[in-house]
Amino acid sequence: MSAEVEQMPVTKHGVHTLCFRSLKRTHDTFISDHGCMPEPDKTAEEMKKAIKTKQEYGGLEKSQPKAAKIPGRALAIEGEKTLAITDGKSLVGDGDISKQNRTENVPTPIARPNQHGAIVPVKTDKEKQEEKMKIAQRKAPVMPKPKWRAPWKLYRVISGHIGWVRCVDFEPGNEWFVTGSNDRCIKIWDSASGKLKLTLTGHISEVRGVKVSTRHPYIFSCGQDHTVKCWDMEYNRVIRHYHGHLSSVYGLDLHPTIDVLVSVGRDACGRVWDMRTKANVMTLTGHTNTVAAVRCQAAEPQVITSSHDTTVRLWDLAAGKTHCTLTNHKKSVRALALHPKQYSFATAAPDNIKQWKFPDGNFIQNVSGHNAILNALAINSDGVMVSGADNGTMQWFDWRTGYNFQRYQAPVQPGSLDSESGIFALAFDKSESRLISCEGDKTIKLYKEDAEATEETNPILWKPEVARRKRF
Amino acid sequence: MSVAAGLRQILPEPTQQSFDEDVSVTHKERTSALVATRKEPPPYGARAGYVPRTVADFGDGGAFPEIHVAQFPLGMGKPKSKKSNALAVHLDQDGNVKYDALVKQGHGDSRIVHSKFSDLVPKEILDESDSSLQKPDQEKLDENTQRTRDALEKICNDKISASMPGQCAKKQAPAQYIRYTPSEQGQGYAGGAKQRIIRMVEVQVDPMEPPRFRTNKKIPRGPPSPPAPVMHSPTRKITQKEQLEWRIPPAISNWKNPKGYTIPLDKRLAADGRGLQSTHINENFAKLSEALYIADRKAREAVEMRSQVEKKIANKEKEGKETELRELAKAARAKRSGLAKSPKKEDDEEVRERDEIRKQRHEQRKREHNIARAAPGKQKELRSLEDRDISEQVALGLPAKKSGGDALFDQRLFGTSKGMDTGFDHGNDEAYNIYDKPWRSETTLSNHLYRPPKNRDLDTYGDDIEEIAKQKRFVPDKGFDGADPSAPRGSGPVQFEQDIFGVDELLADVKRGSKRGTDREDKDSKRRR
Repeated sequence: MSAEVEQMPVTKHGVHTLCFRSLKRTHDTFISDHGCMPEPDKTAEEMKKAIKTKQEYGGLEKSQPKAAKIPGRALAIEGEKTLAITDGKSLVGDGDISKQNRTENVPTPIARPNQHGAIVPVKTDKEKQEEKMKIAQRKAPVMPKPKWRAPWKLYRVISGHIGWVRCVDFEPGNEWFVTGSNDRCIKIWDSASGKLKLTLTGHISEVRGVKVSTRHPYIFSCGQDHTVKCWDMEYNRVIRHYHGHLSSVYGLDLHPTIDVLVSVGRDACGRVWDMRTKANVMTLTGHTNTVAAVRCQAAEPQVITSSHDTTVRLWDLAAGKTHCTLTNHKKSVRALALHPKQYSFATAAPDNIKQWKFPDGNFIQNVSGHNAILNALAINSDGVMVSGADNGTMQWFDWRTGYNFQRYQAPVQPGSLDSESGIFALAFDKSESRLISCEGDKTIKLYKEDAEATEETNPILWKPEVARRKRF
Repeated sequence: MSVAAGLRQILPEPTQQSFDEDVSVTHKERTSALVATRKEPPPYGARAGYVPRTVADFGDGGAFPEIHVAQFPLGMGKPKSKKSNALAVHLDQDGNVKYDALVKQGHGDSRIVHSKFSDLVPKEILDESDSSLQKPDQEKLDENTQRTRDALEKICNDKISASMPGQCAKKQAPAQYIRYTPSEQGQGYAGGAKQRIIRMVEVQVDPMEPPRFRTNKKIPRGPPSPPAPVMHSPTRKITQKEQLEWRIPPAISNWKNPKGYTIPLDKRLAADGRGLQSTHINENFAKLSEALYIADRKAREAVEMRSQVEKKIANKEKEGKETELRELAKAARAKRSGLAKSPKKEDDEEVRERDEIRKQRHEQRKREHNIARAAPGKQKELRSLEDRDISEQVALGLPAKKSGGDALFDQRLFGTSKGMDTGFDHGNDEAYNIYDKPWRSETTLSNHLYRPPKNRDLDTYGDDIEEIAKQKRFVPDKGFDGADPSAPRGSGPVQFEQDIFGVDELLADVKRGSKRGTDREDKDSKRRR
């Protein structure tokens, strides 16, 4: 109880006066700081800077060499010394240094006659050093680690053919697939259940190639009876014959955008047929032995063929001429596969599998390990490449590095001899999650990725050979 | 001169310019031309030290006769230079010699030929997002598709129209006009005009015209395009060992020999693969055969034992029965001759012997009598047929000696003396020597014996004459006294015995009744019947 509170005399003002007075007081308090920013907090500023620099340049601190102050030469030397396994970001240093060079005066190029007598602009020292740097950095091979992939396991075996199953193709909707076999029949199977839906007869000799058209309701088939047939799937009958091959037809492919099909065979030529008029529009000659495989694509070169004369030819379809011949293989090239996403392809021969780049057929790398006659090759969008051999073995590779992550030989169906195992065709379905192999023990085997495998159960054993120079 | 000058002034300007090759005029005109200089040889009279060396030095004329130098206008008459297939050296933009011009010789410019070592070496692995690995974008693809499709359609249409001749006339496109500016200009060309207009019209095609050229001629194929350089190391040389491993020997058939080679037997069978596979016979086969053998033996032993046991039992029974019977017989005999059973003990040996003999004979007779009573057939069997005389056998009609024996040989095989020269009669084809021996020997007794034909008495006795003949109902049980039972009846004529008593002689004498008894004795004795 504060009884003795000093009682000040409270003067009674009007409301107006009171408001005005409080306003004035506020004004006086804050006028000095009006419009000024708050004072910067040093610790906060430092923290912010540190965070930013770490975020932007945190990873570079290690890779950026300390001798960056001396431009050009030092980096080249360092590049030569450093060993292979880096993250691939060393090229950033190059950018910085070249920037540094460019900030200085760029000297004018002088034209001087070369050793051969040609007048050629002489490069300055700086440019020469730049080039040397680039070459040195290119020489240090960067070995990326292969991505871990789940192994594939066999989950279904479909038997129904009476002869070797030679070829397979999926329908665009992934509902069914077609197989052609040595028993002269073409069978259509349901993808989900594996049951037989339809058998088409009409060929009088082995059926070697089957393709389902994505733009028409047609199936095209070719066989050893020198014929190429077009089957209409609405009536399940042959509607067109393409007559002209002089010998067995071993392979067939449809152009994705033009209504044209290309078939190749034992008469060492590829024939381009107009689908509608059945005319042999072009004959692609140049190979000297049986042409084993053909692929068509929309980009240039539009037709690729591989042959038993160990060459692969890339064709210019408009002109009907070979655009390029690749002679790197030592043995017959029986299998060809185009990468669905990248602009590259692979060819398989008993010596090794080679990867190439489009459009000029530049050699990328060898994928070796499968030392057998390879009959089939298939590539996934995910970068999984499978190769199937004549002795029944299959090997799975990582496309980018060429690492072989799985080898398998499926047991033959009961009743078949072990010597009857052989793989004649491989295909991924349209969802790229199932693999079909067509075998010599008259069965069709389906594979899918094993969901239970992990990196621990199937570890990567990657031992790239860097130093040893191979014979090519 | 002044007249000419005056005339020039009076007369109007000429419409056509003169074409004299006046130096001043041509020079003036040439300065206004589009293309500037052309090197002309100096005019006649001013060619003092002029030597034309190149084709251009001649202008558009020929050789200069006043210049005493070998001249080859338009290159004519020059001795042929040696043709070399050397290519000219070309450099690329960096100044390096393009050595792959050698490899790219026969191809067009757009052709890619890999010939460098770097095309062989694996490149570094690029990241997937690298630009060189990306497919070209959709518009490029579409444009490419369109271009290719047009080209293919054109070819296709050409082919199809070539195979379908005789269509109606195609409508000609309207005439095209082209404005053309020639490079050679001047008064002499195109009447002094700077440009020309050309009217382009398509030649009219006769729709009913048959093809102009023969396309059925077969010509040999042209040379192939130049081969691509080989981008791999040469295939490794084969070692001697590997070559020997793959060596395949020539095939020697076991069935065919078209060229008629004589090949030793071991080589014929060498390819059989006999030595390659060691045949392993399963030991169970031996076990099986042994087991069968053992089983067989055991079975036989068992059977034998069983039979022996049975025999013993049977013997025992038989003995038992025999003893019974004997006792019965004894009893019966004893009953019958119970009275006369007084043993006569004669001391005289002869009497005893005689008694013995008598007893034996009596017993024998009794036995036979009993057997005949019990089983008449058995008696006949017991009687041995071989003991009888031949005449007895013949009289009794006993069956002929059984032809028997396993090893029967046809007598015709024996006694032949066929040697090496059988069959070939030394060329004597005419001789009729089929029947060189009688079909039946003459000396056999059967030849001497009359044999009635088989069916002689067919009407008398009917068909079953054989059965009737074989009947044994009328065979006598007893034979004649003194007849010889050994010789069978039908084998030959009746064999006569030696005439002991001379009965025949007596009878013959009696019949003759001749006075001279002694003279005919010799004849009669010699005669045999």
